Order: sequence, then structure tokens, then C-alpha cells
Amino acid sequence: MSNYIPTVGIEVHCELKTNTKIFSNSINGYGQMANALTNVVDLGYPGTLPTLNKEVLNLAIKAALILNCKIRRQMHFDRKNYFYPDNPKNYQITQAETPIGYDGYVEIEVNGKKKKIEIEEIHIEEDTCKSTHRGTKTLLDFNRAGVPLIEIVTKPCMESGEEAKLYLEKLRELLFYSDVSDCKIEEGSMRADANVSIRKEVSDSFGTKAEIKNIGSISNVKLSIDKEIERQSKLYDNGETFQPQTRRFDSKLNDTVLMRIKETGNDYRYFPEPDIPYVYITDEQIEKVKSTIPMLPDERKEKYINLGISEVNAKKLIGNRALSDYLNELLEEKINFKTASNLLLGDISAYLNKNETEITKTNLSKEKFIELTNNISDGTITSKNLKEIINTIMESEKSIEEIIKEAGIQNITDNSAITEMIRKIIDENKESVEDYKAGKDRAIKYLMGQVMKESKGTLNPSMAMDILKEELNK
Amino acid sequence: MKYLDKTIEEIHEALKKKEIKPIDLVEESFERIEKNKELNAYITLNKEEARKRAQELEEKEVGDNLLFGLPIAVKDNIITKDLKTTCASHILENFIPIYNATVVDKINENNMIIIGKTNMDEFAMGSSSRTSYFGAPKNPWNKEKISGGSSGGSATTIAARDVLFALGTDTGGSIRQPASYTGIVGMKPTYGRVSRYGLVAFASSLDQIGPMTKNVYENALLLNVIAGADDKDLTSAEKGKEDFTRFIGKDIKGMKIALPNYFMSDIVTEEIRNEVEKAKKILEENGAIVDYVDMKYLDKAVTLYQIIAMGEASSNLARFDGIRYGYTTENPKDIEDLYLETRKNGFGKEVKRRIMVGSYLLSGENAKIYYNKALSIRDDMKKEFDRIFKDYDLIIGPTTTTTAYDLTDPMDDPSKSFMDDVLVIPVNMAGLPGLSLPIGFGKENMPIGLHIIGNSFEEATIYQLASFLEKKLNLDLNPRKDDENV
Amino acid sequence: MNDKLTKEEVLHVAHLARIKVDDDEIEKYQVELKQLLNDVDKIKDVEGYDEERMIAPWPKDTILREDEPGEMLNPKEVLKNAPKHSGNYIEVPIVISESEGA
Repeated sequence: MSNYIPTVGIEVHCELKTNTKIFSNSINGYGQMANALTNVVDLGYPGTLPTLNKEVLNLAIKAALILNCKIRRQMHFDRKNYFYPDNPKNYQITQAETPIGYDGYVEIEVNGKKKKIEIEEIHIEEDTCKSTHRGTKTLLDFNRAGVPLIEIVTKPCMESGEEAKLYLEKLRELLFYSDVSDCKIEEGSMRADANVSIRKEVSDSFGTKAEIKNIGSISNVKLSIDKEIERQSKLYDNGETFQPQTRRFDSKLNDTVLMRIKETGNDYRYFPEPDIPYVYITDEQIEKVKSTIPMLPDERKEKYINLGISEVNAKKLIGNRALSDYLNELLEEKINFKTASNLLLGDISAYLNKNETEITKTNLSKEKFIELTNNISDGTITSKNLKEIINTIMESEKSIEEIIKEAGIQNITDNSAITEMIRKIIDENKESVEDYKAGKDRAIKYLMGQVMKESKGTLNPSMAMDILKEELNK
Repeated sequence: MKYLDKTIEEIHEALKKKEIKPIDLVEESFERIEKNKELNAYITLNKEEARKRAQELEEKEVGDNLLFGLPIAVKDNIITKDLKTTCASHILENFIPIYNATVVDKINENNMIIIGKTNMDEFAMGSSSRTSYFGAPKNPWNKEKISGGSSGGSATTIAARDVLFALGTDTGGSIRQPASYTGIVGMKPTYGRVSRYGLVAFASSLDQIGPMTKNVYENALLLNVIAGADDKDLTSAEKGKEDFTRFIGKDIKGMKIALPNYFMSDIVTEEIRNEVEKAKKILEENGAIVDYVDMKYLDKAVTLYQIIAMGEASSNLARFDGIRYGYTTENPKDIEDLYLETRKNGFGKEVKRRIMVGSYLLSGENAKIYYNKALSIRDDMKKEFDRIFKDYDLIIGPTTTTTAYDLTDPMDDPSKSFMDDVLVIPVNMAGLPGLSLPIGFGKENMPIGLHIIGNSFEEATIYQLASFLEKKLNLDLNPRKDDENV
Repeated sequence: MNDKLTKEEVLHVAHLARIKVDDDEIEKYQVELKQLLNDVDKIKDVEGYDEERMIAPWPKDTILREDEPGEMLNPKEVLKNAPKHSGNYIEVPIVISESEGA
């Protein structure tokens, strides 16, 4: 197979997290009984008119801001006319001429190098209704009809499935963190289409394009793009050509399959929507939206690492937004953040997972968490103790101090008692002491292990280590 | 029982003194409608519900509301909950809406009683109401003549004195032109003055609901009821409460009125021009200044209208697909067949023609060549009106180029229905208010109307001039001889 | 100026509009649609106009809707006017081709 330069562009449809639909005041919800979340506007009843939801604008502005887009100050909506049973009015209200955001970018890291994925535009539009095919019938559920969407369109600026994957992961993280969308691909609140073409040289014009529609997961986006590049390369290698077409990813075949050849110029008969007057966006509105954007993942990661959290933990925390948000409330506190991050990702996460709950729903107040972190840092509570009392910590309203007392945790902090115990261990393990003196590192770890075992974990490890070293060096 | 021929104040007093009850007015209306059955003004009568409402109103205080307990007819493209709304089309022949238009809510809140749904051109597309699936209404002045359109049924029932009040809709003259043909008063308010929520859209940027009545005062009273911003219609305007009758009775001394030359060109019959000249003279004799003016783009209005109205209609009527409501074809082979057969059988000829042309006008490059260019010229035309309104309070002209023609006149010329509205269309293009006032009769004793155009949201000034002329002319506008009255 | 559209042109617009045109109707449409198109072609003669458009005579201030839920229909009402339904769903013949839209 010869080498070709692939060109990939991605279109993402993303449902916005609003209370109500874009053009009506029925509820924007998921998982309800069919046709229980609709009104006459959503059903396209004769005589009904669209009313634009303010919050849709705010969320779209927010998306434009975090994707570094310019924001249009005067815009209107357009009608895209096409007949389809999932399209209640047989036209979709969208923004063809004046997308709210344009000329933006998202930065990703490909093989250690930063790359800007250019965003062509972001526009606002309404979702269609959901169809289910059953036998010779198609069943329509209008709950989704009129759910607000933004469509984010990149320039054809990616060169591989991997880049597309990184872009989508980054995009999802950004939109999720800024509360623009749930970004639940499995529930369809985020959907991606990929446009793929290949060419021989950079100087060549773009090759024939294939569009891959509605891919169900980010990993399948990567896979389907790579498969499509491979398919097109083979065709060109064999001296064949193909027509512009729409394909879909078949997860059983693990490959793309042809849906249809594109008709030349879909005739959507766009024209400006007369029912919605011009919408103007002011500087004040943009500033107001800006102030609602929480700290985004990149900034969080940098902050965490600066506070002494390992890169691995920093990434894990960002992967769990609830924990990251929790930690962000404590960034000004004087605590050991390495310990705090281990605590959050270790025993606390385990507790939350086991009990299928969220950190904000537990009794772990900020104050309690700080107390706990400090007690662990100074050795008052050992990891073994923690496992015993974690449930109480999370569930009771008592302070850490009270919990420790009630659990009868009395770590040996009396130096002489510790010294006595350590001397006993040294006497019983002559061989290891020899090894230690011969410079074998492992020996001290073994001895320390014996000390902890003997004390049943009630020793403050750092204190014990200090005394052990002291005794060994005598 | 002839209360409906009395003045509104007299009726109001009688209601107040409990000499009559709303049910008496309702019964009288139904009797008159029954007697005038051959005029074919109604598609659906609201008999049971209207009587029920009338009885409910007996429990309520009449108060100072002049419209309390009065029957009103509503054009059948305005959505009425639980009352069949057909748009005079086979495709909605059995459609029973599940919500109310905002104007219908307002009528109900004001304790008026909806008596029935009036006949019209199918989806308001036409100028003679002859495209109605239910046959054309007839002109009470001469049953061989059209009532005009598209609000032909509302015009007919008012002219015939079945009711005092009716609602019409006006996309390109559909209130004013039939008002002129039937000798009644019809107002198309400023675009945005009345909520369009619940008006089945023909051309969204042009449509407007307005009052149709036998005189100017009652017209202004009805506008008081239906006007106002609506949070269900983003194109409705927040203007605050105003009394549209407030200038009625004032003189017109010093009022500056423009009469565009195009409106008095030879596209208009001589008898109509003569009546307009007579009206002009009366105005001048009473201290108004009336100047002939030149206005650009008036002669382009029909072309713009054809492009914009048909373009928008092709999209607005796409929702009639046999899936969620309305007529559907039996046993379609597949989804395409469902669309094709439903829309073929459901729509009439005129509607289909306009949808097809509209689809063509928006397809591919045509959107630019036709639609966008039309929107640009439309903007220029509005600016031309703005220029005139810098110097003038009102613009006048004839409402129509001829008086009502024969019901049997050929309908095979697809351009004809547009040309009937050549004088009234510019007002819709610019979103301005316009009213037709009866000012005389032609050779065949058919009414002639004067078109009075105001600047945006200046309906009260239009009513001022209209009521002044109405009083001066003092015409007998009841087409029914006394012995015909109930 | 032709006084007729071609048959193909008529069938094309009929397809866009999803209106079936029978064979015996085509001829009539060829003439009638062409006449209307000749009418609108007059716009091509208009020159010296300003590009600025008036989409509609909109009010100057648009008041957008607050994001607060309102009343909804119950599924029974949704189905009330639908010619075909099954369970809580509105029903159409099976749709095989994919949506062209969103």
C-alpha cells in the first residue's frame, strides 16, 4: 500500500444541558416514557411558533469561548428543508448563514507535540425525534424533538484516526467540564461524524470524501477513520476511484459499510427563519458567561502538579470530575496534596464505588477531609486504621478526632516503647542486620516490615523508620 | 328580535339592564346565519359550545366591557381548541386542534362568544375564496359575485349582518380586499401588533390577524381586544396597552396625506378612481392636505410577494405530511408514497402550485437569485415608505383595482389572484397597518373601498381618518333590505 | 421565453415539494408553473437596489424565553390526531434510508 496523506474533518452534535427545549418550554430530558416530554410546538402543530431559550444562547456562547471561537454579535436562524419522519415540521431550524461561533481551535497533544485542531464553526440547531424500527413500521418518539444541539465543525485538519480520537476526547472533556453538555455518547447526547479523504501530495487538491455517520464511541471513531483510510488507499492503489458517499461504522464487522452515494448537492432550500428575529449578543453577556466557566482540565492538571500531586494522580483526578471539583475547593488549604490525592483516589474512591454514591452526598465535609489528610500525613492514622474507620468517616457526622477515639485507635507514639520493640526485632534478625550493614537496601525494608507486623500497624511508620535507622547505626 | 342591527352601545345597555342575555344574541346570530346559508360564509358552526358559553356568561358581570357577550366569527385558519379548524383544506378537513391561538384566548378572556369558523381560500391562498375545499362564499350585495379573499367568509358574514365581529387574516390583502368587495371595514394591523401564535402560517413574515367589522369604531374595539405582545410569538411587539378608539371623533385639520400616483394609475378602474377623488376632496375640504406623490418599488410588490410568500409557504406547509395530524392516504407503500399521495390528495390545485413554485424558488442557486434579492428589495421598499412617512401622516389609495367580480369568472390564470391584490400587497411587504373603508358604490352597485395606510404602530391615526370619512359619507352599508332582516 | 417547463423540471419540483403529479397533470403544470416563474423572473430586471435584507418586519427588541419548564401534553393527546399509532408511539411505514439532517 502506498503512502497517502489522509485528511479528516469531524462534525460533532452535542445536546445542551438545559431544563427546556430550544424552541419550546417542554422538558429536555432522557429516558422518559415515549411522547411524554412534548408539546404542540415540538410536534410541529399548525400555528405554533418557536420561542428561543435564553440558556441555549448562554451555553453556546460558553462552548464558543472554551473552543477559542470568535462570537457573532448579530445572528439569525435558517430553515433547512427536508422531508423525513423524524423532522416534525419537515424543516429543521438551524444556523446556516450566521453560526454563533467561528474560527476557533482546540489544542491536543499528538506524540508529545502540541497541535491545534481548527474549529470552522459552532452553530445552534434543534434535534430530531427518535425513530425505532420494528417490523414493517417505524415508531416515532418526539421526546428528543427540539432538544437543543450545538454542531461543532472542524476544518479538514486532522491526519489520522488517532488525532481524531484525541480531539474528541479533549472536546468531550472541555464540554463536560464547562457544563455545556453531558457528553454521553451512549445516550446520544454527543454524536460524531467523520469526513475522510486521502491524497498523494500536500500540493494536491483534496481527494474524494467519504462521510462516516453517527459513530457510537470515540474508539470506534479512530478505528473507522483508520479503516476508511485503508479502504481508500487500496482503491487508489488499484487505480480505482469512488464516488462521494455516506458510510456507517458497523461494530460487528469492525469496519465501515456503505450507506448511500451522495446525491449531487442536497437541496435543503435554506432560507432565513422569519419566526425568530435577530439575536444580538453583547460584551456584557459574553463576560457574564465567561464568569460561569469553571476551571478547565488543563489548568487543573497544572495546578495539581504544582501542588505536588503526581502526574498519574492528576490525570486520574481530572478523569473523575466530582473528585476534582471536591479537591478544587481545597486548593488554598495548607495540606499535603499528595496525601490528599492518594486518599481521594484510594480509600475514598473505593468507598464511593462500593456504595454507588457521590462524594458530595457523604458526610465527608471539607473540614473533616482536611483533618483526615493531616492525621494521615503525621501518622496518627495509618492505612490499616483508615480501612477500619472509612465507613464511619463517610457516614457519621462525628469529627475525625471523635472517630479515632471511639475506634480505640491508639497508635504507639511512646518512643521508648517503640525503641524496645525495634531492638527486639534487631536481635531476632541478625542476618538482615548484617545485610543492611553490607549495604543491601532491601534489608531495611524487610526489617521495617517486621516492625510494622509486630506493632499490628499501630506505629507511625515514619517515626518507626527513624528509630530503626538510629538503632541500626548504633 | 333585531338586536344585532342596533348600535353596540344599545346592545351593551340592554345586556347590562338584563333586557337581553348573551344567549339571545347567539340565537339571533344562528338564525341569521341559517337564513343566509346560501352565502356559505361558514365552514363550521360552534352551536353547542357557543350556547353553553352564553349561558355561562349569564353568571358574570357585564361591567364596562362593550364586547361582553357578543358573538364573533373566526376565520378557519385560526386554531380553536376542540373546534374543527380546516384552513378550508381537505388535508385538515377533520382536524380538531388541542390548543388555542392566543387571539382565541383573548376573545374568551374578554367574554366574547365564538359562533363559528368562517370560509376562506384554502390555506389563505387566493383572492376570491374560491379555492376553498368547501366552495366559495357569496357576496351579500350580489350572490353572483365573489366576496373576495382570502377572508371571504368573515367579510360575508359581517356584510350580511350575521354578527358584529369577525377575525380575518391578511398575508397580501386578505382582510382589506374582501372588506372592500363587501362594503365593510377591515384592518390589517402592523406586523407584530397581534400575536400570530395559532394562526396557521401561510407566509410567516407577512401574515397578520386583524378585525373585520361593519364600522370603524367596532373595528378599533376589537383591535383593543386582540392586540398585544405574546411570549409565544417572538415576532410580536411589546408596545404597551393602548386604546385604538382614542382619536375617533377628532377632526383631521392639518393632517398630511400622501396619494401615490401608482395607486391612481390606469390599473384601477375609472369608477374607483372617481370615488377616491371624491374622498380626497372631502378630506381637503376639512383641512387635510392631500398630495400626489411618486413612490418607487410599488409596482414591484407583487413580484416580491410571489417570491417571498410562495417560498415561505412551501416550507410552512411541509408539515402537512399525514403523520401527526390531518388527512393521510390509505395503505401507503412506503414513507415516500405516504408523503406523495397524502399531499397530492390533501391539497387543492392553487396550494399545490404555490408549494411547487416556492420549492423551486428556494432550491439551489435560486434562493440567491430570487429569495434573497426579494428580501433586499423588500428592505428598500420599506425605506421608501419610511421616506414618505417623514412628511406624511397617512397614505391613501383605492383598496382594489375593480369591484367584486363574478363567481363564474375563469380561474385558470395562476397570476390573476396575485394581481387582484396589487394595491394592498405593499403594506404587507413593509409590515405596515392598513385599513379598507367603504366609500361608495360602482355601476353595478358593488362597494368600493378606500385603503388607508399608516406608519408602523399608528393604527389609531388610521382609525381617526377612517371614522371621520365614515361619518361624512354616512353611507347605507347594509346590503339586506329591511324585510329580509330577521 | 419558453411558455412551458420541461416534464423533468415539473417532476423535479414536485419531488422537492413531495407532491405526486400524475401523468395527465404534467402538461397543465408545465404551463401554469412556467407562467408563475415568468412572473417572478421580473425581479431579475430590478437594478440599483441595496443588498441589506429585510427578513421580516421584526420588532427591535427580541425577548427570549427563560429556561423554565411549562405544561406538556400527555401521550394520549399526542396521539389524538395521529392517523396511525401503536403504544405511545406515532407510527409510519418503515423508514430505511437514513435521515439527511442532524
